[in-house]
Amino acid sequence: MSSDSQSRQSTALPVSRVKYIGILQDGVYRTNPVTYQVLGICIFLAVTTKVENALVMGFALIFVTAMSNLLVSLLRNTIPRRIRMIAEVAIIATFVIFFDQFLKAFYWDMSKQLGPYVALIITNCIVMGRAEAFAIQNPPLPSLVDGIANGIGYALILVLIALFRELIGFGTILGYTVLSPAWYERNILFIMAPGAFFVAGFLIWVLNFINPPKPAEVGK
Amino acid sequence: MKDNTRTLLFAGVLGLICALALAGVSQFTAPYRQANEKAEEVRNYLAALGVPGREGMSSQELLDVFEENVRVEQLGEQTVYRYIPGSGSQAEAVAVAVPFSGVGLWGPIRGVLALGPNFTTIRGIRFFDQQETPGLGGEIGAEWFQNQFVGKRIVSAGGDPGFKVNKPGTPEDVNSVDGITGATMTSSRVEAILDNLAKELLKEKQSDVQ
Repeated sequence: MSSDSQSRQSTALPVSRVKYIGILQDGVYRTNPVTYQVLGICIFLAVTTKVENALVMGFALIFVTAMSNLLVSLLRNTIPRRIRMIAEVAIIATFVIFFDQFLKAFYWDMSKQLGPYVALIITNCIVMGRAEAFAIQNPPLPSLVDGIANGIGYALILVLIALFRELIGFGTILGYTVLSPAWYERNILFIMAPGAFFVAGFLIWVLNFINPPKPAEVGK
Repeated sequence: MKDNTRTLLFAGVLGLICALALAGVSQFTAPYRQANEKAEEVRNYLAALGVPGREGMSSQELLDVFEENVRVEQLGEQTVYRYIPGSGSQAEAVAVAVPFSGVGLWGPIRGVLALGPNFTTIRGIRFFDQQETPGLGGEIGAEWFQNQFVGKRIVSAGGDPGFKVNKPGTPEDVNSVDGITGATMTSSRVEAILDNLAKELLKEKQSDVQ
């Protein structure tokens, strides 16, 4: 959770000033979990090789962050301070296993594709980060919105990176051939982990160029 | 002290609720998951053996086709699935399938290898249970990788049992396929599993003949 200090800045707003739109914008764009907070990198290396996988993973993230944020927020006055992190992890793990079981029961093929990575959402820093930085000190509704916003923010970047990687690496998008193997040489590098770093780094650069971090935050 | 009690109580109650919720979900999904797993296995046996079937058959249909066409026998220590079309109207098996399992990079790899009735030529292969890296080692579950095996032999040109998974670009052999670029660890583990299987099979077959 090395990034807690970063994500904490946008928290603990008085309820009267909470603007849901603002929370949404923060999560999806202004303080995007991947490009701005640089969280949850471990998983996206593995699941962004194909757009389809990235979509399902993004959906899982939205579900888990939203639900765990809501629950943590509802319990925020009950959870003893000293074990709050353990409690958060227990709640997150429960929702992740829900989702994993759901995939195994009803979307068997996708569950096979994603393998162990669905379960690894438990250790995704975004989920824990939002619970710890936002939900534990804000009312349920803003927390739910924050969870959804950050989930969407993560999912968007996942899909964007997967678009590049699948296109350059396999020459396909969502399994449809775009660059024909007849004249296009697949670039395997983009399927491997370094490819994700290249694409993500490039994306972070572009997004931070369009939307530079505010000076006050840079000095931190 | 009072604080500690409260903390313990909270942890206990939260743990209990989470556990109960998970147990409930697991109970609810168990039949679906088991049906999926069973159908998955059967589907792979049928596909490897080349038993004709429609796309998108339900679990029950798959099981029916399996019952009708496949007979399970023991060859030494090896379980053998014989494909006899139309349940025994012909005595001779068209193909035989042997399950295999071994150690992958992240977890166990399980699959099934289908061979001609003489246990030499590969008719098909399926890796149906594996946790290799998606997009890299996970490609062993992909069509293109598995299709390479069709027509290969588990006996070398010189007559020795064995199988090789080579680096892509290596000249082909009667008993080798190309591995996966970027997934050397998975490729070599697959090689070890199949090589071992080829040797085991020959041993069983010889002792069976005697």
